[in-house]
Amino acid sequence: MNCAEFQQVLPGTEKGGRSAEQELHLQSCSVCSDLVSDLDFIVREARTLQASEEPSPQVWQSIQAEIAELRSELDLIAREARALQASEEPSPAVWKSIQAEIGDWQTEMASIAAQARELQASHEPSPRVWNSLEIALREEGLIRQPQRETVPMSSRRWRLGWLVPVATAALVAFGVLLYRPTVVNQGEVAQSASPRVFHTNNQVSVKDDQELLNAVGTRSPAMRVAYENDLRDVNAYIRDAEQSAAADPNDEEVQQYLMDAYQQKNMVYQMALDRSLP
Amino acid sequence: MTDARKSRGDKLSEAEAIERAKQGDAEAFETLYHLHKRRVYSLCLRMTANTAEAEDLTQEAFLQLFRKVGTFRGESAFSTWLHRMSVNVVLMHLRKKGLPVVPLEDTFDTEEESAKKEPGAEDPRLAGSVDRLQLERAIGALPPGYRSIFVLHDVEGYEHNEIAEMVGCSIGNSKSQLHKARLKLRDLLKMSRAEKATKP
Amino acid sequence: MDYRQCATRTTLIVMLVTATVVVCQTRKEFRYTVGPHASVSVVNQYGPITVTPAPGNQVVVTAVLHSDKVEIDQSQSANRVELISHLLPGSTSDSGRVDYEVLVPPDASVSLHSSTGPLRAEKLHGDVTLEGATANVDVHDISNAHVHVKTLDGPVILSNISDGHVEITSISGNVTLDEVSGPLVQVSSNSGKILYTGDFGSGGEYSLMSHTGDIDANVASYASFDVIARSIKGRVENDFLLGPKHTPFAIKAGSAFAGTLNKAASSVKLSSFSGKIHLRKRQP
Repeated sequence: MNCAEFQQVLPGTEKGGRSAEQELHLQSCSVCSDLVSDLDFIVREARTLQASEEPSPQVWQSIQAEIAELRSELDLIAREARALQASEEPSPAVWKSIQAEIGDWQTEMASIAAQARELQASHEPSPRVWNSLEIALREEGLIRQPQRETVPMSSRRWRLGWLVPVATAALVAFGVLLYRPTVVNQGEVAQSASPRVFHTNNQVSVKDDQELLNAVGTRSPAMRVAYENDLRDVNAYIRDAEQSAAADPNDEEVQQYLMDAYQQKNMVYQMALDRSLP
Repeated sequence: MTDARKSRGDKLSEAEAIERAKQGDAEAFETLYHLHKRRVYSLCLRMTANTAEAEDLTQEAFLQLFRKVGTFRGESAFSTWLHRMSVNVVLMHLRKKGLPVVPLEDTFDTEEESAKKEPGAEDPRLAGSVDRLQLERAIGALPPGYRSIFVLHDVEGYEHNEIAEMVGCSIGNSKSQLHKARLKLRDLLKMSRAEKATKP
Repeated sequence: MDYRQCATRTTLIVMLVTATVVVCQTRKEFRYTVGPHASVSVVNQYGPITVTPAPGNQVVVTAVLHSDKVEIDQSQSANRVELISHLLPGSTSDSGRVDYEVLVPPDASVSLHSSTGPLRAEKLHGDVTLEGATANVDVHDISNAHVHVKTLDGPVILSNISDGHVEITSISGNVTLDEVSGPLVQVSSNSGKILYTGDFGSGGEYSLMSHTGDIDANVASYASFDVIARSIKGRVENDFLLGPKHTPFAIKAGSAFAGTLNKAASSVKLSSFSGKIHLRKRQP
C-alpha cells in the first residue's frame, strides 16, 4: 500500500477501524502517520470547543424584549377576539324570525300529515266492500261481530309514531346481525377500533376480473392484454396496501394507499365498461 | 405561593422548567435559556465565525424555542431537540445569505498535496505546537461549507447520517467533505504556526 | 439493372397502396355555432384527437375517416356538441380509425375519449377532460381551467398548466408535469413514473402518489413549500436543506423526510409504496 492508496481510504476509516495493511503502512510511513496524528489532534481539540462560548447579556435582554412584545400582541389579539365575539351576538329580531319559521314549518307538517291521512282514506275501499265481506265471513262462521274501534286519533298517531322507532331499531338490529367481523389471520376478530380493512375476497375479485376481461376481449380483443396487465398491477397494489394496513392499522398514509389502489381499480373497470368505447 | 411552587432562588430542574415553560412560565423559560445558552451560542459562533451574527441567531433559536416549546413531546432529549432546532436556524440563515451549506466543488485537491513527501526538513506535528486560539481562528477561516460539516461533526458530535439529512447530501459526501475540511484546517494551522514563528 | 427494376417496382407498389388508402379515406367537416363556455365531447376509439383554440364562436371539426367501416354520429344540443365515432361490424383498429382536428373557442370545455389516441389539447381556458386506454396524452398551455386525465398505459405530458385543478390517474403510463401549478395538483400512478419539474407554486396542494413507479421532482431553489415524502419500501432522497416540520409518523432516514422550504406556501406530498422518491434541486 502506498501513500496515495492509504489517503484515498482515509475518509471512510476511523481509528480502530483500519485494516492490518493500513496499520502497517502507518507504522512505516512518517508522512501518513504525521497526517493521521494531526487529524486526530484536530478532532480531539475540536470537541473541547463545544459549549465553550458564552453570549453577552444583551442576547437575553433582546429575547426578553421580543417575548414581551409577542405577549402583548397575543393579549391584544385575545382582547379583540373577545370583543368581536361579544359584538357578534344576534339581535332579538333574529330569534323572532327563527320562531316564526318554526311555526310555519309546524303548520306545514300538520298540513302534510292531514293530506296524508286524506290520501290514505281515499285509497281505502268503500265501506260497502267490507260490509259484504263481513256478511259473507259471518255466514261461514269465520268471524264474530266486530267491535268498533274507539281508539282516538291521537292514539292511532301514537301507534304510527311508535312504529317508526321500532322499524329503525329493527333495521339496526338486522344490520348488526348481518355484520360479520372481518377475520384476520388465525381466526382473530378484527379490532373494532381499527379502521376497517377491506380484505379482497380473492375468488370474487378474480371472477369479476375474468368477466371484465372477457367482456373487453369480446368487444376489443386487442385491448384485452392491456387490461389484463393493468388489473394485475392494481391488484398487486391492493394486496400490498392491505398487507401494510393489516400490519399497522393506525397508519393513515397506508390507508390512503389503499384508497388510491381501489380508485385505480375502479378506474380500470370504468374505462373497460364505458359504453361509449368497446 | 403554593407548596408545589419553588421559591425564587431555588433552581428548577430541566424537566420542571420544560413543563412550566410549556404553560408560558417566564421564569422557567429563563432557566432553560441559561441551561443551554452556551451550547447554542457556541454552535452559532462556530458556524458563522461572526459574533454579531451568532448573537442574532442565538436570539432567533431561543425565540423559536419559545414559540415551539409546546410541541416538545419528549421523544428525544430536550437538549438534542433544541440543538437540532438551532442547527436548522443557522443553516437556514446561511442559505438565505447564499452561502453554501454543502461544500462546493473545490478547485484544489488536498489529497494530492498531502500525498507528497516533503523533501528536506520534516514538518513537526500539530500537537503541542498549536493552541486553542489558533484552532478557533483556523475554523473561522474555513470556507463556509467546510466549516458547517466540520462543526456539526467534530465539534457538535453529529453523525454523518444526521448531517446528511440536515444539509441534504449523501452520507458518503458528508464523510469526504469532512475529511477535506480537516485537511484544509491542518494546512491553515500549519500556516498559522509558521506565521507565529516568524513574528518577533 | 435488376436492382433498378426492383426499386422501380417497389416504388410503384408503395404509390399504389398510398393512393388506395387515400381514395378510401373520407374527409368530413362539421361546423357548429355555440355560445360562451360551450361543451365539446369527442369519443373516438381509434385515432388521434387534437383540440386547438380559434377565435369566434364556432366549433369546427375536421374528421378523416379511414374506411367506410366507421361513421360519425354527431349532434348539437344548445351549447353542447357531441361527436362519436361509430364502429360498424367488421371494423378493425385500422379501418375504424378516424383522425379528428377540432377548433374550439378558447373558453370551451372539452372532453376527449379514445383508446389509442393520441389526445392533444392546447391553449384553452375551459376545462379539459381526457381519457384514453393506451393513448398518449399531451396537454399544454392551459390556464384558469381544470384538467382531468385518465389513462391505463398511455403516457401523459402536461406543460404550462396553471390556476386550475389538475387530476391525473394512470396505471402504467409515465406522467410528466412541466411547469404545472395550481390550487390542486394530484397525480396517481401505479407503475408509471412521475416526473415533476416546476416550483410547486400558487400556494397549492400537490400530491404525487404511486405504487411502484418512481417519483422525481425537480424543483427550483426559490420554491416555497412544505413537504412530506415517504416510501414504504423504496428509498427517498432530498437535495434541499429543509426547515423542521412535525409529522404524524416517525421519520426513518432513507425512507421518509419532511420539512419546509422558504415560506412553505404550498403543501407537497410525495408518496410511493415501493418506488424511489427524489426531491431534486433544479439547476439554474
